[in-house]
Formats: sequence, C-alpha cells, structure tokens
Amino acid sequence: MAVLDKKKSKVSDKVPSSSMADIAFLLLIFFLVTTTFPKDKGLAIVLPEEGGEVQVAQRNILHIIVQPNGLVEIRRGESPQVQTTPANGVEAIWRQEVSENANIIAAVKTHPQAPYKFMVDVLDALHTAGAERISLQLYEG
Amino acid sequence: MPIKSGGFSRKSQASSDVPDSSMADIAFLLLIFFMVTTVFQKDRDRPIVWPAAEATEKIDEKLKNILNIWVQRDGAIFINDRPYSLGEVTAVIAPLYAASDRALVISIRADREVQYTTIDQLQKQLVAAGVVRVVFATELEQSMTRERR
Repeated sequence: MAVLDKKKSKVSDKVPSSSMADIAFLLLIFFLVTTTFPKDKGLAIVLPEEGGEVQVAQRNILHIIVQPNGLVEIRRGESPQVQTTPANGVEAIWRQEVSENANIIAAVKTHPQAPYKFMVDVLDALHTAGAERISLQLYEG
Repeated sequence: MPIKSGGFSRKSQASSDVPDSSMADIAFLLLIFFMVTTVFQKDRDRPIVWPAAEATEKIDEKLKNILNIWVQRDGAIFINDRPYSLGEVTAVIAPLYAASDRALVISIRADREVQYTTIDQLQKQLVAAGVVRVVFATELEQSMTRERR
C-alpha cells in the first residue's frame, strides 16, 4: 500500500549527546576519588638523641655481630661464648632471650665492610620477633 | 510608500542564547591544560636495588613530612636530587628538620650492597642533626621467596 510506505518513524535516530559531558565528568571524578598513590614503606627505627648515651649492664645486652659474609655471631653479655647463625636464626634466638630476660637490649654491630642488606636482614628478624630495644652500631673489633 | 509596521516590530535575526554546546569542550581544555602544566615535587628515581624485609610496614606519615636520602651502590648520597658528601648531611638536614617542626621522617633509601660503614656515618650525621625518626626503606619480602633463598 503506497500510503503506508510514506509513513516515517517518529523516533529520532540521533544518539543524545547533551549528557556526554556529564558522563565524562562522572568517570573523571570516580577515578580521581579511587586513585591511591603508593605509600612509602620500610623498617622504622628511632635514633637516640645526641649525647643521650645510656650505660647498660652487660648482662642485659645481646651482642649481634653481622659479618661481611652475612653470618651472624651472637654473644651474650660478657660471656666469651660465640654462637654463629644465619640471619633468619636471630628471630628464634631473640624470642628465647626475651623469655629469659625481659630487659634485654639487642646491640646490632655490623662489620664496616658488610653489605647493608645483611644488617637489614637482622633488623627484619628482630622486628618480626617484636623487638623494640635495638641499638645499631659499627663493629670495631 | 508607507514603511511596513512602522519599522518597529522587526525582530533581530541574531539568536539571544549564549551557545552552551561547547562549554564541556572548554572545561576539558582547561582541565588538560592544567594537567599538562602541573609538576609534582618528586625525586628522580635512582638505580637502587632495595633490600628486602618481611617486617616491612607502611610509613604512617604525610608525604610532605618524609625526606628521602638516597644512597647509591657506589656510596654517592643524594638529597632532593642533589649530590652531597657524607660530611654535609647534618648541615643540609638540620634546617629542614627545624622548619618541619621536628615532624620530619627521614627515609634512608640505600642500595642493598652499600657498605655498612656508609650507613653508620649517615646515621651519626642524622643524630647530630637531631633527627629521631628514621626509616630504612625496604621492599616487602614474601615468605615464599625467603624459603627459596
């Protein structure tokens, strides 16, 4: 039928574009809000104040000597006995020492030529074991 | 010949609407302009291999209160992208620390192979500058990688 063929659809064939900017801004605000920048991370320590050196009884000191090859020597107070262990063994030793003496302090003495990472390994073990009283020193021996 | 309608009712052909279809384009143009011209204060990344630690934790401090000290494998020290010698650290840090109202946290970003004597001297310089809070920047170590080592 010729009459029906001429009837045009009333529906618009255009995509509505007036709200496009709103959609773009919505996306923008969404990503602005959800973006988080990576935070710095590391092992926190507290340095002593200058001149604030405290004398500690030898029996309360656990000497942890980091050798250039990464092995760790443990000496208790003034006892001449030396125990050698890899860095990850420090954690268990520290837990053992704390259970025997709650006032103990970890004196981490690192050999001047030892790479920094071995000191970090020991510090890591002490942090993992929950140690808070840590002293970082240079090994002069 | 009389003028049609007295010459008064003729409407202007110019539209009285402010065109607003390009408003979004202008907004985006401004946005992109400011995005491109904004520069963030950030240190240049240095070639550093981080030491790994299982106990690595996030530093709970505002970004502007963290000062990075970079120590490269060869022992070179950089603060705010400028090289310094070990002896100069106290003189550089002390005024910054005072200006921050003693809230500054020093992040020591040292390569894992740096000799410990450098780190020790750096620590002594920081103590002399009165710094209390220090962080050894490390990478989080998964326990799986530790077992493989």
